Amino acid sequence: MLSIKNLKAEIEGKKILNGLNLEVKAGEVHAIMGPNGAGKSTLSAVLAGRADYEVTEGTVDFDGKDLLELSPEDRAREGVFLAFQYPIEIPGVSNANFLKTAINEKRKYQGLEPMEATDFLKMMREKMELVEMDKSLTSRSLNEGFSGGEKKRNEIFQMAMLEPKLGILDETDSGLDIDALRLVSEGVNKLRNKERSFIVITHYQRLLDYIVPDFVHVLYKGRIVKSGDASLAKELEEKGYDWIKQEVEANS
Amino acid sequence: MFRISLFEFRIYREIMLVENIKAEFNLYKNQAEKSDFFLKREEAFAEFEKVGFPTTKNEEWKYTNLKNITNQSFQSTCESTIETELMLSHAFLKDLTANKLVFVNGSFRPELSTIIETDESIVISTLAKAKTAHSELFNKHFGKYAPIEGQGLNAMNTALLSDGAFIYVPNNKTITNPVIIVNIADSTDVNVLCQPRNLIIVEKSASLTLVETFYAVGNNPSFTNVVNEVYANENAHIEHYKIQNQEGESYHNNFTQIFQEANTNINHVTLTLSGTLVRNNLHFFMNGQNCNSLLYGLYMPHGTELVDNHTRVDHAFPNCHSDELYKGIMMDKSVAVFNGKIMVHLDAQKTNAYQRNQNILLSNEATVNTKPQLEIFADDVKCTHGATIGQLDEEPMFYLRSRGIPADVARKMLLNAFADDIAERIKIPELVELLEQEIEKKI
Repeated sequence: MLSIKNLKAEIEGKKILNGLNLEVKAGEVHAIMGPNGAGKSTLSAVLAGRADYEVTEGTVDFDGKDLLELSPEDRAREGVFLAFQYPIEIPGVSNANFLKTAINEKRKYQGLEPMEATDFLKMMREKMELVEMDKSLTSRSLNEGFSGGEKKRNEIFQMAMLEPKLGILDETDSGLDIDALRLVSEGVNKLRNKERSFIVITHYQRLLDYIVPDFVHVLYKGRIVKSGDASLAKELEEKGYDWIKQEVEANS
Repeated sequence: MFRISLFEFRIYREIMLVENIKAEFNLYKNQAEKSDFFLKREEAFAEFEKVGFPTTKNEEWKYTNLKNITNQSFQSTCESTIETELMLSHAFLKDLTANKLVFVNGSFRPELSTIIETDESIVISTLAKAKTAHSELFNKHFGKYAPIEGQGLNAMNTALLSDGAFIYVPNNKTITNPVIIVNIADSTDVNVLCQPRNLIIVEKSASLTLVETFYAVGNNPSFTNVVNEVYANENAHIEHYKIQNQEGESYHNNFTQIFQEANTNINHVTLTLSGTLVRNNLHFFMNGQNCNSLLYGLYMPHGTELVDNHTRVDHAFPNCHSDELYKGIMMDKSVAVFNGKIMVHLDAQKTNAYQRNQNILLSNEATVNTKPQLEIFADDVKCTHGATIGQLDEEPMFYLRSRGIPADVARKMLLNAFADDIAERIKIPELVELLEQEIEKKI
């Protein structure tokens, strides 16, 4: 589904990604871990199409399409969803109106008619339950006055509504208490299926107790330096990142 | 030689409108009865002769140059020729259930107007009629609030006003449906000068919803110079909306003085949608305790249009509250001016006064001159003011686009959200809807 080859990217002349390779197949969950400054958030930003990052080399193929050539909105409409680390507040744009616009823009892209209002409301009700979102939040402005946990739940709720092929969770666990973490993870687990893939970016292993990945990769200095199964996350939790760093330095 | 003649020519051009006004006043003077009203106008004319039109040397007019008005000739006594239906098809809110007073080129058009209010103690009429029919009220209030001294444009309006609305709401009464004053400048045949003059009196515990709308038709320039005097007696409540949408070469100056007695509540929204040059002067004077004054405005100039909002709120008594928010969406090479003055007088303790001006520039060539001002002479007050000028933020744009919303749709959503702060102050749903349509059209 997603094939990243030799990806190099920089911001304001500073090289962040230095030849990253990653293969994600349909239905797989890949966790990307790594110390601060390894390039985790840059990877998600580049995949979602943030303009301030410049890709200098490499390719990203998403279901046969050159992802890097697409605008952010077209990436979304092709089925990429980024759950932001810091979802921003947009006063004056209601959650419901925003989602209706997003869904209908995606349908338009796919050559479909706009969704009937009653179907949309029904869908909202169902998906809200996934993350136990309070009904009142949908009529409010997008993320305005939401707590940290509510903002993250809203990201997962949006993901449920937009039904992407690939969900990227960018440090979704940051700033969450254990109850919010459980709710968010359960929401994600309910969205897991044979077709849908996830890239879970996290600094801590804690999230991976709830969302159990098929693969764990360690990102360091802009490259994936080690890959394994879920047990690699446990090892990192116990031993920290220093041994990985030493291994990389020794090999270079 | 050449230089001198050019200079002379320029001087001549600049006084063109002044000469117009003088000739017109002399005409009026020869026919008028020598009443109190006449004396007031004569006095105003003398003031106009003395001060003339404001120039950019005047600090209050630094960024707004009237030379394109004053160097043209305008006629103020002309008949409108276009068909009534066509005129009204230009008028906003024609489907709203309301009392409507229609003025074309400053003259009242009874056949186009409708009064649905049935309470006979309420007066929804014209200034010309009220002068005799309600002479006591007229003499008590007319010319008492809008200053003439040093105000050339107000003086010109007083000296040569055409007609306007006269609204009187007695104690404890409410006009059920809004009153809409529709002003149409028809410049089909000539350059037209309209000088509406409205007098609004809302007595104790009475309430009124007032909408002023302005349109222009015809290809010649038009100049509309309005003066409103609004008197709110104790505990009165007024919703006041001003919508200005004069297309073509239209110049507009508006002076509104709202005089508030104790415990009054005024909500004023100024929407400036189109006009070559629009200057709104909105003044509040709080003449008692516990007054609440709300001033909101939205302007969306495009092309080379200029919109100038000058507001002044006088907190003269303690325990009053004012809140002001003006927002601008600037396109093309347009220019906006905002000057908000809050005066907290010596005795006005426990004043709460807030003022903000926020602008979004959608073009590199648009200009905003903003000057939020506070002058505080009391020592126990809460006052804030501030202004921002910026572009549409990148972050919200990216967030919306990352959910599959195309850039142009996302931009519209964000601009609507920006305007929403003002739209939500409007309590007439039809007017909110209209504003949304206009925003849609403009951006």
